Amino acid sequence: LSVPLDAVAVEITVNGIVYRRTVDARTTLADFVRDELLLTGTKLGCEHGVCGACTVLVDSASARSCITLAAQVEGRSVTTVEGLSNAREMNALQASFREHHGLQCGFCTAGFLVTATELLDAGGPIDEELIRNRLSGNLCRCTGYETIVDSVAAVAGVRKDG
Amino acid sequence: MTEPHMTVPPVKPRGIGARLSRAEDQKLLTGHGEYVADVRLPGELHMAVARSTMPHARIVSIDTDAARVATGVHAVWTAADVTPVCAGMEGALAVEGCVPTVMPILADGVARYVGEAIAVAVADTRAAAEDACDLVLVEYDPLPAVTDPIAALAGGPRANDTLEDNVALRGGKTYGDVEAAFARADRVVEAVYQTGRLAPAPIECRGCVARHSWSTGELKLWTSTQVPHLVGYLVSLYLGFPEHLVEVLTPDTGGGFGLKAHVYPEELLVCLLARELDQPVKWVEDRREQLLASIHAHEQIVRIAYALDADARIIAQRVEALGDGGAYHSVPWSMAVEPWCTAVMNAHGVYDIPEFEYTYEAAATNKSPIGAYRGVGYMANSLVHEALADEAARELGLDPFEFRRRNVVESFPYSNPQSITYEEGSWAESIDELERLVDHAAFRERQTRLREQGRYVGLGISIFVESSGESTETSQAFGLADTYYDTATVRMEPQGKVTVTTGLTTQGQGNRITMAQVASDALGVPVEDITVRCGESTKYAYGSGTIGSRAAVVAGGAVLRSANVIATKLKRVASTMLEASELDIVLDGGKAMVAGMPSRFVELGDVATAIYFDSSFRTDGFEPELEVTMNYDPARPIFSNGAHAFIVEVDVETGLVHVEHAFAVEDCGTMINPAVVEGQIRGGMTQGLGCALFEELIYDESGQILTTTFADYLLPSMDVVPRFSFRHIETPSSHSPAGIKGMGESGLIASPGAMLNAVNDALSPLSVTLRRLPLTPERILAALDSAKRSVAE
Repeated sequence: LSVPLDAVAVEITVNGIVYRRTVDARTTLADFVRDELLLTGTKLGCEHGVCGACTVLVDSASARSCITLAAQVEGRSVTTVEGLSNAREMNALQASFREHHGLQCGFCTAGFLVTATELLDAGGPIDEELIRNRLSGNLCRCTGYETIVDSVAAVAGVRKDG
Repeated sequence: MTEPHMTVPPVKPRGIGARLSRAEDQKLLTGHGEYVADVRLPGELHMAVARSTMPHARIVSIDTDAARVATGVHAVWTAADVTPVCAGMEGALAVEGCVPTVMPILADGVARYVGEAIAVAVADTRAAAEDACDLVLVEYDPLPAVTDPIAALAGGPRANDTLEDNVALRGGKTYGDVEAAFARADRVVEAVYQTGRLAPAPIECRGCVARHSWSTGELKLWTSTQVPHLVGYLVSLYLGFPEHLVEVLTPDTGGGFGLKAHVYPEELLVCLLARELDQPVKWVEDRREQLLASIHAHEQIVRIAYALDADARIIAQRVEALGDGGAYHSVPWSMAVEPWCTAVMNAHGVYDIPEFEYTYEAAATNKSPIGAYRGVGYMANSLVHEALADEAARELGLDPFEFRRRNVVESFPYSNPQSITYEEGSWAESIDELERLVDHAAFRERQTRLREQGRYVGLGISIFVESSGESTETSQAFGLADTYYDTATVRMEPQGKVTVTTGLTTQGQGNRITMAQVASDALGVPVEDITVRCGESTKYAYGSGTIGSRAAVVAGGAVLRSANVIATKLKRVASTMLEASELDIVLDGGKAMVAGMPSRFVELGDVATAIYFDSSFRTDGFEPELEVTMNYDPARPIFSNGAHAFIVEVDVETGLVHVEHAFAVEDCGTMINPAVVEGQIRGGMTQGLGCALFEELIYDESGQILTTTFADYLLPSMDVVPRFSFRHIETPSSHSPAGIKGMGESGLIASPGAMLNAVNDALSPLSVTLRRLPLTPERILAALDSAKRSVAE
C-alpha cells in the first residue's frame, strides 16, 4: 500500500513567471499552484473533476487542475485567477461579476472566471445559450446562475433578452 | 414582556433599500479570499480520517502499527486516545419526545454508519496522512444494518444500541376536535409525500486548523462554520480548554446552508492533536467525506389530510411527519430539525385551519446523521401543504389560485390555534401578485394549445410563510427551550470612520454590505466609510449562529441599538460645536448639521476627533467612549412570506423536466438590499429545483451509500436552471429593526412544492400524480407507464 515518492522535475510557466520545481509525481496541478506557488485563488471543490472550481487555463484552454498532474503541464503555460487581471485592478469580467452580483460566497468564482475567459477569448459570437452551455461544467451553490450569465453576457455584449 | 434588549430605535431608511455592491467582491474575484484551506501556519501538520466501511459493526480490533511508523506520520489516534478525554457530544433538540444520543468523537467499539470516523492520522502532508489512513486495519464483526425508517420504528434490531429502541423522537399534539371535524367534512383529501435525502453541498467543504501554545495555553481554531461561538463553547466544555484562552476564527467561508451550523468531531480532534503534538494541525474535508459523513438532510415521509367543507374550505388537518434520522442526533440541531419543524412550525401553512393535529417521529438508522439544511423541516411542511392544496383543487375542479384564496389567512394579526400571533403579512396579496406575475390566463391558453400538440407544460405554485429572525421568543412560542444571545459592536474611529463587528458570520449572503447599510443610516456615515466584520473572531461580538433566517434581523438590531448610542453622543457634542439644540442635530452624509440649515454643519470626523482628543468636551457627565456593544433578541416571532412558481415542460418520452422559468413574490418587510434579497431567492430556489428534480443520497438495503461524488449526487448546473422574475411586497414588521424580516431560507422552503405541482400540473391529463422527490426521469416514466397500464385495464 505504501506509495513510492517519485520525484519529477518540472518547469512550468504560471501567470507569466517560469517556475522550476521538483515535485512528487502524484502532485496535482491544483496542489502545485496552491501549495508550491502559494497561489491559493484556485479552489478545490470536489477533487474529482466535476465542480469546476479548480479550473485554470493551460495554454489558453481550460483544464481541471484537480485531475491534472503538475508533471503533465511540463513546459506549458498556466493561467490562474491571479493572472487574469493586471496588478491591483479587476479586469472587465471581474468588475462585471461585482456589478451584477455574480458571486456570493466566492468559492466557485475563480473557476467561472477562468472558464468564461476561455469563452470570451475565443472570439466567436456569443449568446446566452452558448454561455449557459459552456459554463454548465462549473457548479455554483449560491447564486442560481442568472447573475453569472448576466456578468458574462454584459462583457460579451449580449443583449439581456437576446 | 418586552425588555430593553428586544427594542430597537427607529431609523429613517436612506442607505437601507439600495442595491449596493459588496466590499469583499474585489478580494474574492481576484483570488485573494482567504478560506480555511488557504490559512497556512508555520509548522502545520495535516490530519486525515479513516472512516468506517461498514454500516453497522462491532469493531473487534484496530491495528495502527503500520500507519504509526509510515514516513512523515506524527500520530495515529483511535477512540482509545480520545474517549478518556471526551466520550462524545450529546445531541437532542429540547422538544417533547426527543431522546438524546451521544456522538463519539471516534467510533468506540461500534461503527454505526458508513463514513463514521474510526481513526485519524497526522502527518507532514495531507497525502502522507491519507496514505497512513490506508494502513489502518480495522477488523469488523458485522451487525444488522437498520436502513428502513418505518420498519425501524416498529421494532427489530437497533441501529444504535445506546437507545432503548429505534425511536429517537416521538411526539404530537391535537388542537380542537379534529376527529369530529373530519367526521363532518364534505370531503377528505389525503396523500403521503416523500422527500429525498439531501446534501447541502456548499462548494467549499468543511475544514479546520488548530494551533495551541503550551507557553500561554492559548488555543486558536480556524474553522469553516456558521456557529463559531458554539464551536468554541463546546471545545471548552468537552475538552477542558479554558474558555478565555479559546479563540475561534472564521475566515472567508464558501457557503454553508446549514451544513456548517453544526459542531463536528473533526473540530474537536484538531484541537486535541495540536495540543498533543505542539504543532498546528489542519484538516480539510474532501467531497467524498462530505457526502459520506457531514450531515445529511431533508429526508422525510409525511402523510397529510385536509378535511374540506362544501365550499372547499379546510376545516381540519392531520399531519404525520416521519424522519430517517441516521445513527445519532447531529449537534446541536438533531434529527428533530426535520419532522418536528415540519409538524409544529407554521403547522397550517398559510391557511386558516381552525383545528389540527400532528405527530412527529424520527427513526435511528445506520446512516449519516440528519442535520440542518436551509429550510429544515419547513421545506417538507410547505411541500405537503402546497402539493395537497393542488390535489384538492384538481379534485374539486378549482384552479389552484382560487383554492388557495378560499383558505388563506386574510386578516392580521392572526392568532393560530397554537396561540402564535402572526402580526402582519401579505399572504393573500402574494397569491394575487403571483397570479399576475405568471400571467395565469395566458399560461392556461398556451397549456391547452400545447396539449393538443402532445406537449405537456405545467405551472406549479407554492405559497409560504417563513419563520425568520430566529429568537428566544420564537423558540419559546413554539415550545422549544432555546435561548439566543447576539451582540454587535459599533466603534467610530478618531477620524469618523466606523468599524462594525457582529457575532454572526457570513458565508456569501452579503451581511457585510447589509450591516453597513444599517449602520450608515443610523450614524449618517457613508457606507464606504464603514467596515463590517462578521463573526471573524469569537473574541469580539457574540453570536448564536447564522441560521434560521436571522442574521439580517438580529445583527441588524444589535448594530442599530449600538449605533444609536453613538449617534446620540455625536449629536450632543455637535450641538455644542454648532451652538444648537441636540434635538435639532441631524446626522447625514458624514456630517452633523442643524435641521433645515444645511450650511450649519460640522464633519462627523471632527466631532469624533473632539471626543477622542479634546478634553473640553468631557464635562457634565459625558461618557466619551465611541465604542458600544449591545445585544438584540426580537421581542416576538417575525414571519416573512411570499409565493413561488415554476413553469416546466415534461418530455413524456424521456421523463426529463425542462424548467422554463422561475417566479418569486417575496415579502421580507423592509428590504435592506434588493440585490442581496434576490440573490438569496435565486440560490434557494435553485437548491429547491435540485431537491425536486435531481438530488438524492442513496443507500442500498445493506446500508452502503452509493452517491459519494458529484457525478452521482447531481447539483443543478447552469444549463438546467431558468431565468427568474421577481415581485417585491414590503410589509414591515412593527418591532424589528427598520421593519426588516429574514428571508434566507424561503427559496428552499417553498420551491420544491412549486416544482412538484408544476410537474403534476403538466401530467394531469395523463392521470399521473407524483408524490416522491426527486422527480427523476425514471420515476416520471414509471408513473406514466403505470397510468397507461391502468387505463388499458
